[in-house]
Amino acid sequence: MKMTRREFVKNNAIAATATAAGVTIPGMKEVLAASEDKIRWDKAPCRFCGTGCSVLVGTQNGKIVATQGDPDAPVNKGLNCIKGYFLSKIMYGKDRLTKPLLRKTNGVYDKEGEFEEVSWDEAFDIMAEKWKVAMKKDMAANKGKPADKLTSTVGMFGSGQWTIFEGYAASKLMKAGFRSNHIDPNARHCMASAVGAFIRGFGSDEPMGCYDDLEHADAFVLWGSNMAEMHPILWTRITDTRLTKKDCEVHVLSTFKHRSFDLADNPIVFHPQTDMVILNYIANYIIQHKAYNQDFINKHVNFKKTPTDIGYGLRPEHELEKKKTGKGGKLSGISFEEYAKSVESYTLEYAHEISGVPKKNLQRLAELYAHPTKKITSLWTMGFNQHTRGVWTNGLMYNVHLLTGKISQPGNGPFSLTGQPSACGTAREVGTFSHRLPADYVVKKKAHREFAEKIWQLPEGTVPGKPGYHAVLQNRMLKDSKLNVYWVMCNNNMQAAANINEEALPGYRNPDNFIVTSDPYPTITAMASDLILPTAMWTEKEGAYGNAERRTQFWRQQVSAPGEAKSDLWQLMEFAKRFKMEDVWPADLLAKSPQYKGKNLFSVLFENGYVDKFKKQTVMDDRGNKYQNDEMEDFGFYAQKGLFEEYRRFQLEGVKKGHEQADFDTYHKVRGLRWPVINGKETLWRYAEGYDPYVKKGEGIRFYGNKDGRANIITAPYEPAAESPDAEYDLWLSTGRVLEHWHSGSMTRRVPELYRAVPDAVVFMHPDDAKARGLRRGLTAKIISRRGEIEAEVETRGRNRPPKGLVFVPWFDAGRLINKVTLDATDPLSKETDYKKCAIKIEKA
Amino acid sequence: MSQYNICSALVHAKLQQVNSVKQILQQQRGVQVHAQTEDGRLIVTIEDDDRKQVGERIMGFYDIPGVMSASMIYQFSDDEFNEQETLEIKPTEERMSA
Repeated sequence: MKMTRREFVKNNAIAATATAAGVTIPGMKEVLAASEDKIRWDKAPCRFCGTGCSVLVGTQNGKIVATQGDPDAPVNKGLNCIKGYFLSKIMYGKDRLTKPLLRKTNGVYDKEGEFEEVSWDEAFDIMAEKWKVAMKKDMAANKGKPADKLTSTVGMFGSGQWTIFEGYAASKLMKAGFRSNHIDPNARHCMASAVGAFIRGFGSDEPMGCYDDLEHADAFVLWGSNMAEMHPILWTRITDTRLTKKDCEVHVLSTFKHRSFDLADNPIVFHPQTDMVILNYIANYIIQHKAYNQDFINKHVNFKKTPTDIGYGLRPEHELEKKKTGKGGKLSGISFEEYAKSVESYTLEYAHEISGVPKKNLQRLAELYAHPTKKITSLWTMGFNQHTRGVWTNGLMYNVHLLTGKISQPGNGPFSLTGQPSACGTAREVGTFSHRLPADYVVKKKAHREFAEKIWQLPEGTVPGKPGYHAVLQNRMLKDSKLNVYWVMCNNNMQAAANINEEALPGYRNPDNFIVTSDPYPTITAMASDLILPTAMWTEKEGAYGNAERRTQFWRQQVSAPGEAKSDLWQLMEFAKRFKMEDVWPADLLAKSPQYKGKNLFSVLFENGYVDKFKKQTVMDDRGNKYQNDEMEDFGFYAQKGLFEEYRRFQLEGVKKGHEQADFDTYHKVRGLRWPVINGKETLWRYAEGYDPYVKKGEGIRFYGNKDGRANIITAPYEPAAESPDAEYDLWLSTGRVLEHWHSGSMTRRVPELYRAVPDAVVFMHPDDAKARGLRRGLTAKIISRRGEIEAEVETRGRNRPPKGLVFVPWFDAGRLINKVTLDATDPLSKETDYKKCAIKIEKA
Repeated sequence: MSQYNICSALVHAKLQQVNSVKQILQQQRGVQVHAQTEDGRLIVTIEDDDRKQVGERIMGFYDIPGVMSASMIYQFSDDEFNEQETLEIKPTEERMSA
């Protein structure tokens, strides 16, 4: 019996889909099982969002020709979203960078020159030269200073798309090698508020629940998240539950209508920033109706209040910063009665008046949370996080779940979703933030620094104690010449950062600075730099990501990177070879570890007997397929494995428990595991007896991230946004994403089909608002703020339907940079930018 | 050698509209519906039709009234595809001994 290759491929496609749907097509499986596939299949997590779908990657003749939703993956159960279709194409864009590019005039580096191809040697030569000048200056400025007073002019902007190994190596290179805490990930723009609130509430980062909640819950509430477009696979799971479970309900809250409203039983469009009012109203409703769980509160909750009127994270000379009366986030204890009093004014009338939401919708939402038995999962993404009161607002959500005890139980819990594939696994967990060390340790605490120095085999006082510049501050400091050498990796911050006209662009082009960007493609960030390094992506290297539900997933290298492109890991480690210890550390520090004198930084950080302890080996799967590992080939040891095993020591040997991951080899065999992993067993619900091994029998719940085992209910009032519409700038601007493009579009806009489907960003607005400005659908509008302007076509009938008074513009379009218009106001606690609120006006172009 | 693109999708339609969704799908070039489940999910393939590419077709599914979700399941794309090449399907016993 024979079939053509075309028939074979098609039958495979049909069979895979039938399996995902749970149906059998007679005879199909047998035919396919009996034929030889030329394609080598292996698992990898998807390159895009934080859902963490597993994909089967099909390689043939050194190229990825096919992908398939992984039927064995618990996250996506054989499904992929539409972006999954384009996974195999993102690596094959026509303008992939294959050689380093340096700005030159007449054959030498010139900041005002044009990009010319150079060798890796020349690229690293000039880079190391600039770094050495900066560090020499730093060492002179730091002479005689203790660790917690050190300053630096060396910076790095990293990524929640870095692999775990890359993030760990970068953090170590910066904090231990270059002795600078000015490393921050782009995850600052999306997750920092969630992190801040987890730490304040529970003493430990990341959600207590997991995706299994999507089947266990009786009701779902979306707070500022358009899951239908941004997390489609999780949305499919919610849709299934909604359609099959009796009395299941879905509430969707947003400042404008979007696709997730199609499934909403209770659709709620509220005025920007008033989510805080709605949350406090719900808490008040629960208290007034005595729907709180007294026993749970007695055993597991403390009540606290936070300083108020804390400003908007703008430059200190800004009017709003001068006016503020409060500072920081130091909590003080209050009683339940005091807490009840603090939310008393948030009545139905007040909430309705401020938020603009009809009373019956507000009441229905409050009744749901107050319901004695209904299991509720609350989900959010950037609506809560990109918020000048993001930490507070995340906390107000926890307050509601803690009052009712609806937390850390199957189907019950607050769940912050992530936008990047390893915002959790890399950015948050391995210490790539300017204030963090691996595994929730922080640079500010001496004991934590000493613990890191012990594991890294460094002399006492190596790691600086002052938190470094965070993402937004980095751009300001580049502009102010306080940061002079800067390495941007795996992100597109010239497009992603707010207010780029006034901060990022002048910062990058500042003649005092040398800017390096590593990327697979010539993004606008790369083009604004002085040196561009071509980068291997996704399955062109071995990697590991951690998704939003604490699931760590590994993949093997499937194909080679094009031309001379190299992984971020190779770049970070190889660059370390360019420095003698005397170039990076002062004599007094080196005198404490004389064995490091004359050595290079690579050998101290990566040939330390731990990172290099796994010798070169063949990478093989359990079916006998062999895989390349380019870094292992170059360095002569299994760098990924050594880095991961060294990182695990932070989880296993320290005082903080509950972050444990399994060993390296296990992850290559499984479809991911959710930490803490104890004795090979993953944890589905943290802090809950029966699920979390750190909770003893009889305790029920224990929030062990805090010393007393209790979580904090933290009261916080509604405070207005940094900038609201006025007579001149009379509209709200909200920014965000669309299904077809992932983040800044640097990958998805290079896929012709996706580009054609949604080529340009449009301005979504209410038809009456358009009409009042002489505009209608299809005409070009000018979107103007106090900081900049762009032009875009008006859309009044699209998938997003803003109410009067608000417009929505997606930020994927490099040709229409909406971040010229946005304001760089941040949450003073989390330092995360509020991309959802600023004042603009619209005119006919 | 030629270019070959195929993609399969699971299209979830509202139960009361599943027949009209199916009809609209089948009218599109390169699109075939192979099976459907009782709860309104359709097993669909999309092949190159030289005019509109596979990716654009699948994205267009969202605009069909009654479609709640369209999930991508399997995707194959090869610029140097030998579609006439035949594959031998061996009986099970032969494979076992091979």
